[in-house]
Amino acid sequence: MAKITYIEFGGTEHAVEVEPGQTLMQGARDNNIPGIAADCGGACICGTCHVYVAPAWRARLATRTEIETATIEFASDVQPHSRLACQIKITEDLDGLIVNLPESQ
Amino acid sequence: MNALSPPGVHWDPYDQKYFANPYPAFARLREQAPLYYNEQYDFYAVSRYEDVERGLLDRDTFISGKGGILEMIKQNVPIPPGVFIFEDPPLHTMHRSLLTRVFTPKKMNALEPQIRAFCAKALDPLVAGGRFNFIDDLGAEMPLRVIGMLLGIPDEDLKNAQARVNENLRTEAGQASDYTDHSFIDEGYEEYIDWRAKNPSDDLMTELLKAEFVDETGTNRKLTREEILIFINIIAGAGNETTNRLIGWTGKVLAEHPAQRRQIYENRGLIPQAIEELLRVEPPGPVVGRYVAKDTEFHGQKIPAGSAILFLVGAANRDPRKFTDSETFDIHRRRVPHLTFGYGFHSCLGNALARIEGRIALDELLNRFPEWDVDLDNAHLSSTSTVRGWETLPAYTPKAGKATSVTATATAEEAAAAGAEKWKIVLKTPMGPQEMVMSITRDGDGFTGRIESPMGSENVNAGKIDGETLSWTMEVTKPAKIKLSFEVKLDGDTMTGHAKLGMFGKSSLTGQRI
Repeated sequence: MAKITYIEFGGTEHAVEVEPGQTLMQGARDNNIPGIAADCGGACICGTCHVYVAPAWRARLATRTEIETATIEFASDVQPHSRLACQIKITEDLDGLIVNLPESQ
Repeated sequence: MNALSPPGVHWDPYDQKYFANPYPAFARLREQAPLYYNEQYDFYAVSRYEDVERGLLDRDTFISGKGGILEMIKQNVPIPPGVFIFEDPPLHTMHRSLLTRVFTPKKMNALEPQIRAFCAKALDPLVAGGRFNFIDDLGAEMPLRVIGMLLGIPDEDLKNAQARVNENLRTEAGQASDYTDHSFIDEGYEEYIDWRAKNPSDDLMTELLKAEFVDETGTNRKLTREEILIFINIIAGAGNETTNRLIGWTGKVLAEHPAQRRQIYENRGLIPQAIEELLRVEPPGPVVGRYVAKDTEFHGQKIPAGSAILFLVGAANRDPRKFTDSETFDIHRRRVPHLTFGYGFHSCLGNALARIEGRIALDELLNRFPEWDVDLDNAHLSSTSTVRGWETLPAYTPKAGKATSVTATATAEEAAAAGAEKWKIVLKTPMGPQEMVMSITRDGDGFTGRIESPMGSENVNAGKIDGETLSWTMEVTKPAKIKLSFEVKLDGDTMTGHAKLGMFGKSSLTGQRI
């Protein structure tokens, strides 16, 4: 299991255990983390699972695919460290990952 | 016949026999011909989830630049720049990126108050009567008004232009359409662009007029008038008919699943997942076409470059490899993405708008009509090769059923005494034969009457006489709340026919005049 911390826009932290193989989006959904809509359910077409990855963790993630880059334009307040949670597969290597959630999806 | 079209496996997008229920044919394709070839119309089709997903994501092999509709691809129709749904990179990437910014979920969700107001305007006048039509009253009204508001085009003008756009978008029932002379531009919108260029507002048209982007030559420029015109035509067409169909399927499918509808009524937090499940089981656009730009293969079978291929979203959404109990409508199922909005770079740009419209429509419907039944005898399913859904779908509430019957309160005995015909009918229901006594009082080509049975005493509704054929409906509350639709033929003192028992199927009946 990997420990993942989701920090809501207001600062509330949720530290949960996510099974490797699941996506960061599924981890949030299965643990009822508020602030991730994930309307399309993981098809990378809606842009409503937008998260900001904490600086220390960015290099550990696979880079954005072309489709993620295209779809993330649906999101608001996109930053260089914006990612779509449905495109990040959790591995043991990501144990300790911290992500911040945007003000709204 | 070969491995790609085994005996007994057939489907094409024009054959009317697949419209009412394409799913058995889709299941045969999925299981027996995962790569299917139709010789008559010369196209390939894939139907399994992972194949549809792969195909829609691979925009280099399966290109959009020759159209997304089978006949368009086959006719090699020239497609002008700006028809972004039928473009490939690099132009598609630029056009799509521009439009992504104006269709963000945040902007679409902000339309909620207006969408609710449009629903209220459409539905409020119908509450007292208890009868409404999912398409005529809501599906053909609300999405159109929302698009009109977004574009800044008055409703009435939009409706006129829309009628022409729909003609363009739609294919003829049961046949391939001729796209060789197809225009992607409707004249109706030109004056608004010119007017809006001089009178900027906060609408989408203004945003498109102002938008700048780097085009394929590396030039930073604004959209041309022609590009904007084409964008608007596509947005208006795509944003209207498909959501209309979603609203129709919402009415039809939830009428068939009253227990789940009740759960949604009591817990509106279930609406988003209910809309996703509706989109999964009845996608308004069940088929997506592409042109095969280079040789490829599925399941070890080759597809040569130059072929047309159809991705069967409607089949993939019910692939048991991906969805447990895949043919069942279940709003509580564990979420797996459906492919109704497509997948990859051409996925539906308006998915956030469609979702918010669908959710609000259902919420506002439930606010006014917690329960309804659909009148399938008077409903009409559209039958074109691009969109599948209801053209008209009348519905009524249980209250309305009762309200219309208070005029005829005489019992069968009293009616018979007053000169009405009296019949003894035996209906062969799934629970065994049911005996009932019916009175019929003719009035021109209609009749009123009453049926008494062990299930209770009910008035007949919508009694019609056509020669020796009589039809009527009746609502019963026991053993379940269902609407029965009868059709019988009279032959002297006997009658034969059948009754449709809501979701319980069809039962035959016989009758004797008494």
